[in-house]
Amino acid sequence: MAYPTATLDVIGLWVGWFLMLMIYSYPLYKENVAYRAAEHMFIGVTLAITIITNFSNVMRMCITPMLQGNILMIVPLVLGLLMFTMLIPEYRWLSRYPVALLVGAGFGLGIRGTIKPNLQDAIIDTITAPTGGAMIDWFNYLYVAVGLVCSIMYFMLTFEHSGALKAPTRIGRLFIMVGLGAYFGNTVLFRFTMLTGRAQYFLQVLKLIPM
Amino acid sequence: MALEHYWVKSVDSTREAASKMSALSKLADIDRRVFYWILFIALMVPFLSPIGFPITIAPNTQDLYDGMTGDQVDEGEVWIINFGYGVSAWSECHPAVTVCTKALFREGAKIIFIGPHYDVELTYNKLQDTCREDFATKEYGVDYVFLGYFTGGESVVAQLASDIASVFPQDHFGTPISEIPMMDGVEDVHSIDGVLSSDTGDYGGHFMTQWQGPYGTKLAEVGIAMNGSTDLPRWQAGNFFGVSVGSRGGAELELLIGELGEATTAMDSISVSHLLLVIAIIIGNLGTITEKLGGKE
Repeated sequence: MAYPTATLDVIGLWVGWFLMLMIYSYPLYKENVAYRAAEHMFIGVTLAITIITNFSNVMRMCITPMLQGNILMIVPLVLGLLMFTMLIPEYRWLSRYPVALLVGAGFGLGIRGTIKPNLQDAIIDTITAPTGGAMIDWFNYLYVAVGLVCSIMYFMLTFEHSGALKAPTRIGRLFIMVGLGAYFGNTVLFRFTMLTGRAQYFLQVLKLIPM
Repeated sequence: MALEHYWVKSVDSTREAASKMSALSKLADIDRRVFYWILFIALMVPFLSPIGFPITIAPNTQDLYDGMTGDQVDEGEVWIINFGYGVSAWSECHPAVTVCTKALFREGAKIIFIGPHYDVELTYNKLQDTCREDFATKEYGVDYVFLGYFTGGESVVAQLASDIASVFPQDHFGTPISEIPMMDGVEDVHSIDGVLSSDTGDYGGHFMTQWQGPYGTKLAEVGIAMNGSTDLPRWQAGNFFGVSVGSRGGAELELLIGELGEATTAMDSISVSHLLLVIAIIIGNLGTITEKLGGKE
């Protein structure tokens, strides 16, 4: 990607650069007018784009086919409009029909598809011993096995976690903490990567590094 | 006199100890802005002066690359690339998607681009820029097609498996799908040879439950680092034939295809950010431990 030459593109690049600095003025300095202005602009623009995109989508998928003679498209259109009755207290009950349909369809589809990949395949993979003789594979295998059993035992809430259950549930809690820690660590690192992208953009706009 | 001397000495030693203690405990109270400034500046340095940390290829990335090259992809196969990420995650997902697009195009595969993010058009445009040379040799509507935005989560992914035209009666530019040569005969899951989903969310999971599970469609995932802990077990279980995790995965793929790009450039900076984070955690913990020890005394 080369540095843009068209005037509008260059303006867009610099507007983005200044808006980025306005947003970063909050963590790097403190909350201020520039930050708030950029934040409000971001929310406004995002909302506008979302509305336009979804409106176009409804037109493309529903209204246009309906006008072309696919009369059945009136059903999703009416169901979609019923969602807006949430905003009118007297007619809010009508919105329960599309919500019920959505939840029902979601559950049905979810359950249909989830058993093999999310349960069967995952269980088979967990209980299958490694074929190679590498120590690390066996360590991983045992680590996952112990972690899985102990973590599940931690959620056995119908029994008091004492006696025979005391040790495994405590180990389970440790595994859960390690798991959540790793998950949180990944989340933080993802944010850092986004920041890296911004740092790169900062330098690219100033032409200090190639775009 | 002797007593006075003892008292002065005692006060001095207490003050010395307190000052040492407070210096350490202050570590826990460093203004966050100091850390942010250091981080912001430190992230830029590797871009200006690359360090060149080595990059090794993870087996999950190797599997992803192998599954999209060589004997694994035949000429004329139809693949779906799902842009399940917005502009904010370009640095994480886009380099890997760029490499996968190049790999598929070079194997002669045809690609359908779709995306559940409202800014999907920007991502598609960006891809056209990052794969400029490959797109230049392909023809729109014959070798690739951009069907555009869709919404509805797992339900729509399931509907795509049954009837693609019902979700996308037209492409992004308004051309009816029936008038697009590439889409002739491409009707449902059985017409699709593989799917690459790139996500900040879990569209890869939706394709897994609605496509890979019931129909055995080849499925791969390009996820942000946060998704790694979800995606890798699915790769180990065989649901995904390959997985790329974050920018790191993108850098590995760039290395595999032999064209270094954005992810490789950013890797040094990302490594520095991780290093700074580790240092910050150590400093913060030192401060907290010192405070606790001081409290006990």
